[in-house]
This record gives sequence, structure tokens and C-alpha cells, in this order.
Amino acid sequence: MREPPRLKIAQDAIKAWKLSAALLMIIPWLMVVATFIAGKYLNLTIWFGVITIVLTIVLTYLSIFLIPKVRWRCWRYEVFDQEIYIQYGILVVSRTLVPMIRVQHVDTKQGPILKRYQLAGLTVSTAATTHEIPALPEEEAAKLRDQISELARVDEDDV
Amino acid sequence: MMFEPRRLHPTAIIFNVIYILKNLIYVIGAIVIASFGDGMFIYVAFGIGSIMAALIIYSILAWFRFKYSIVGDELKIEQGLIIRKERYISKNRIQSIDLTQGVIHRIFKLTKVQIETAGSDQSADASLSAVTFTEGEAIRQELKLRKEVLDAKDSEDEAANHPTIKVSPKRLIIAGSTSGSVGVILALFFVAFSEIERFIPEQAYDEVARWMMTQTLEIVMFLAILLLVFLWILGILGTVIKYGNFQVTRQHNELFITRGLLEKRQMTLPLKRIQAFGIKESLIRQPLGFATLYVEIAGGEVNNANARTLIFPIIKTQEIESFLQRLLPEYQQVPTTYTSVPKRAFPYYLVRTLFLPVILFVMVLIYLSNFIVVPIVLMILGALLGWLRYHTAGYHLDDEQLTIVMRDFGKDTLVMKHSKVQSMQRKQNLLHRKQQLATVRSSMLNNFAGRHAILKEVDVEEANRISDWFSLRGTFEHK
Repeated sequence: MREPPRLKIAQDAIKAWKLSAALLMIIPWLMVVATFIAGKYLNLTIWFGVITIVLTIVLTYLSIFLIPKVRWRCWRYEVFDQEIYIQYGILVVSRTLVPMIRVQHVDTKQGPILKRYQLAGLTVSTAATTHEIPALPEEEAAKLRDQISELARVDEDDV
Repeated sequence: MMFEPRRLHPTAIIFNVIYILKNLIYVIGAIVIASFGDGMFIYVAFGIGSIMAALIIYSILAWFRFKYSIVGDELKIEQGLIIRKERYISKNRIQSIDLTQGVIHRIFKLTKVQIETAGSDQSADASLSAVTFTEGEAIRQELKLRKEVLDAKDSEDEAANHPTIKVSPKRLIIAGSTSGSVGVILALFFVAFSEIERFIPEQAYDEVARWMMTQTLEIVMFLAILLLVFLWILGILGTVIKYGNFQVTRQHNELFITRGLLEKRQMTLPLKRIQAFGIKESLIRQPLGFATLYVEIAGGEVNNANARTLIFPIIKTQEIESFLQRLLPEYQQVPTTYTSVPKRAFPYYLVRTLFLPVILFVMVLIYLSNFIVVPIVLMILGALLGWLRYHTAGYHLDDEQLTIVMRDFGKDTLVMKHSKVQSMQRKQNLLHRKQQLATVRSSMLNNFAGRHAILKEVDVEEANRISDWFSLRGTFEHK
């Protein structure tokens, strides 16, 4: 784990994350509207509204424009014949090693947002843990899934 | 032995009724109490009577429908009144087989057979609530791994030469008195009391309170101590009953454990199923030089809170080595020296244990400054615990095995084989990266999805050594 994994996930992941963050940001903005309406009826000072607006703008910038990019930069993975190596996390960087012979099953999954960008997520499960590579190009994900399931096919009766 | 589908012993009906009643007791109890004094009592009694009758009929039918058999390498269970279920459990997937004899079982020479498979999904396990004891043993023999090898050897020495270790009664009493269960029983006692309290007439309550007031402080103290001693003895009794006649035997590729005075239990643990071996030294036992030995397996005592399987309830730390040599040589290399975490990790350990007490301190300072002593004591204890954890934490690498020592309250030594570690993770936050520290987490399989051995704030070079050891890409020389 001296060197980080070499491969990056699909660049379109940024777009997909931006889109889902944008959809999620609808909720805070609705709350801003609610604050203004409540403020009008309850005769609160305008500052409540201003503060919520500023906070929401900061939050919007962070979650839509900053975090997806940084998150993408931090996500790395590499699949060897013997093991899978994953790195993720912005402030807390985690690096995980999963030996192939411990892999129980591997899934690809795709929600509507990932589908829009022809991406798919890959989930690798051992008997004790689950690991994810969140956004890969569809064909790449399918190829990797088949490759891992092929490599993991070891006759082991330990578990 | 391949046999035709069989039913359980008819006593199973009683167990089923008791089991369902136990779950219903609160509902029924509440209805009965609510209906006292009303003219409705007779109707309620009638209603409960008919529920009971229905229950018994249901249990008889369920018993009638429940059949088990061994087909080839699989245990087959058919059950269900309306929806018929058939379950096959392959011998290769069985984690452990337990025979448990409660008091009723022992009267009728019966046993309960529990067959555990991996994972937390209890419905995938099988439980035969009552079969004759000989039958239970036969089932266990049949479902053992690699039976053919066993049969050949068993005929020669017939269980005589298997190394066995027992717990002496004296040790058991030590185990009971250091189990720390006083606290647990005390809590139970108060819960029970608050339940009963409602039924005590207020008058009696007042009178007792008045009497207490008139007594001197000494007598009240004396009574309190008496109560504590009583609970303590209860705790010892509990341990003695639970672990009485504890005996662990190594039979070829299995550990065979029997225990219990009232409820007898026999457990079979195939060695292949052991995921890790651990030594737990609780805060009370560590200074006295005693420890508990356990293994992590997938499946097993699910109701046990920390999901570990005890293989020896109490042992002197010096005796662990000879214990392992005789019974579990696979794990006998418990290291004596550990690479500890660097000095610069200490602040992290301290912050973790001091965080809550400090918040409490500030709050008490603002609102309840009279009681400031309490959070100060907590802070001292917190700092002490932080230091203890820092002092304990460490690891040791051998060719095939990683040992991590850590501490919540008690010291915990966990020996993991390379082949049983499911995945390895290294974590660093911003400060860690500046200070060249990392947290290492190694995951194993046990009952509930996984057990993680976490070594916090180790030097990053050491973290790399551990992950190099784990990596199969060959920066290390084992295998």
C-alpha cells in the first residue's frame, strides 16, 4: 500500500455526481423558500432569510461544484490477478486490499443517473466486507465483473 | 447412516408450547392483570383457555409435520403446516454442531441439536429441539467433516488419547468472582424491582422508607454491602452453573467442548472453521494474571452479545502456552513482543477517551458546578484509559500470522492466520498524513457480517509492512 492504485474511475462520474447532487440540493432550496414564507407570516427579520440563502449557496457550491471533482480525483482502483486494490476518501483516505480468493461475489449496478452517462458501479463482496468501485464505463464494468468472477473462481471450502 | 425421515421426540411439543408462551407471556399477563376485579374475568379465562388449546393443537400438528433425515452429505428438514418447507444443509457448510441439554431434556435423556451455518441469517440454521441423546450424537457423528478418517482412527483409541483440559472448581469460582457480572445482576435487579414496585402497596413502601430513615448510616451501609455480596455470590453461582464441568478436548481436527451443570452443552468446532484465536484479559482479571480464551467462528452462539465462542473460561496467562501446545498447536505461536504504536499517536488515543468527559466537564461547570468532582474523576479515568489503550496497542507479524493487541477496557490479543483475513484496509486522515501515521483494519468473518481488528495510529511504515504481508503480489516471501 505504498503506492496508490493506478487507475482512475470514469471521468463522467463527475457529471453523474453533479447531477445527483443537484437533485438532492432541491431539498435545501425548498427549505429556503419555506423560511421566506414562514418569515413573512411570522414577521421575522429578513436576516433569517439571508443567512439560510448564504448557507444554501455555500452548500450548493460545495456539493455540486467542488466535492464531485475532488472525490473523483481521490478514487483509484486497480485489479490484479491476485487481488483488488481500492483507494477512496477525501479527508480520510482509505486504501483497501481484497484478495481474489476471498471474493464471494461481484455485482454491477446502475441507477437512472449512472445509466444516463453509460456508467455502472461495481460491488465486490467478501464473506465479511463489501467494497465498491462507484462509476466505470458500462463495458469496462461488465468486463471487470466477468474478469473478477473468473479470477475468484477458486475451490475453497474454508468458509 | 442414511436414514428415513424421522420426527422429533414428542417432548418437542412441550418445548414448542413453552417457546410460544414465553413470547406471549407479556400480552397474556397484561390482559389477566387488567381483567382482575372486573366481572369479565371468566370470559378472559375462557379466552386464554381456548388460545392455549389452539396452541397445543398447533404444536402437535407442527411436530407431526416436522421431519428430518440425512440424505447423502446433507441434512434435510421438512416442516410447515400450511406452507411446506424443505431445507437441505450441506455438510460442507456447517460451522458448528451444538448439543444442548436443559433440565427437562436431562430428565428424558434428550438433547437439542443446533446446527449453525455461516452468516447472521438465523433462518438458515437448523435446530432440532428434542431428539434422544444417542440420536443426537449419531447425527453429530454423521455430519462431521471427513468422517472416514475419523472412523478408522477412532476404532483404535476410542477417545482415550485425546488431549483434554478441564476447569478446576477453584478456578471457576475465581472466574465467577472476577466476571464483573455484579453490575449486570445489579441492573437486572433494579429492572425487576421497578416492575415489582407497582404491586407493592404504598403503605409498606412508606413504612420501609421510614424504618430506613430511623436507622443509623452504618446499618444502611451494612445492608447495602450485604446486598452487593449477595449479588456477587449470585454472579459466582451463575458462572459455576454455566461453565461447571467445563472440558475442552482436541479430537483430530475438531475442538470438542462440554460445559454446564444444569443445562449441559456440547459443542463441536471444526478447526477449519476457526477464523481467529483470541485472548481476553479483562480489567479485573489482567492484574490477577487470568485470561479467557476464545475463537472467532462464523455461526455459533448468536445470543452471545459479542458473538465469540469461548474455548476456555479462565486460565492463568502462563498456562496459555501449554494449553495451546496440547489443544490448539495451530495457534501456539502467540508472540511475546509487539511492535507498539509510536509516541506521536498518544494524543489521538487521549482525545478519544477524553472527548466525552471534557464535554461533560464543561456542561457541569456551567449548570451544576456543585458536582464538578464527578466529571473531574471521569476525566482522570478517561486519561488513564487512553494511556492504557495507547500502551497496549501493538502488532506482531510472523510468516503466516498477524497478531494484534488492542484494548477497549479489557486487553484483547487476536491471532489471525493469513488465509482467514478477508480484507485489509489502511486509513489516513489529514493529520495522519502529516504525521506519518495510519490506521489498519483487518476484517475477518464471524457471526455478524464480520469482525474487524483495528490498530489505530500505527507508524505508516509499519502499516505498509502489514499490507505487504497481506498482499498476494509477492513483496514478501511466504507461501
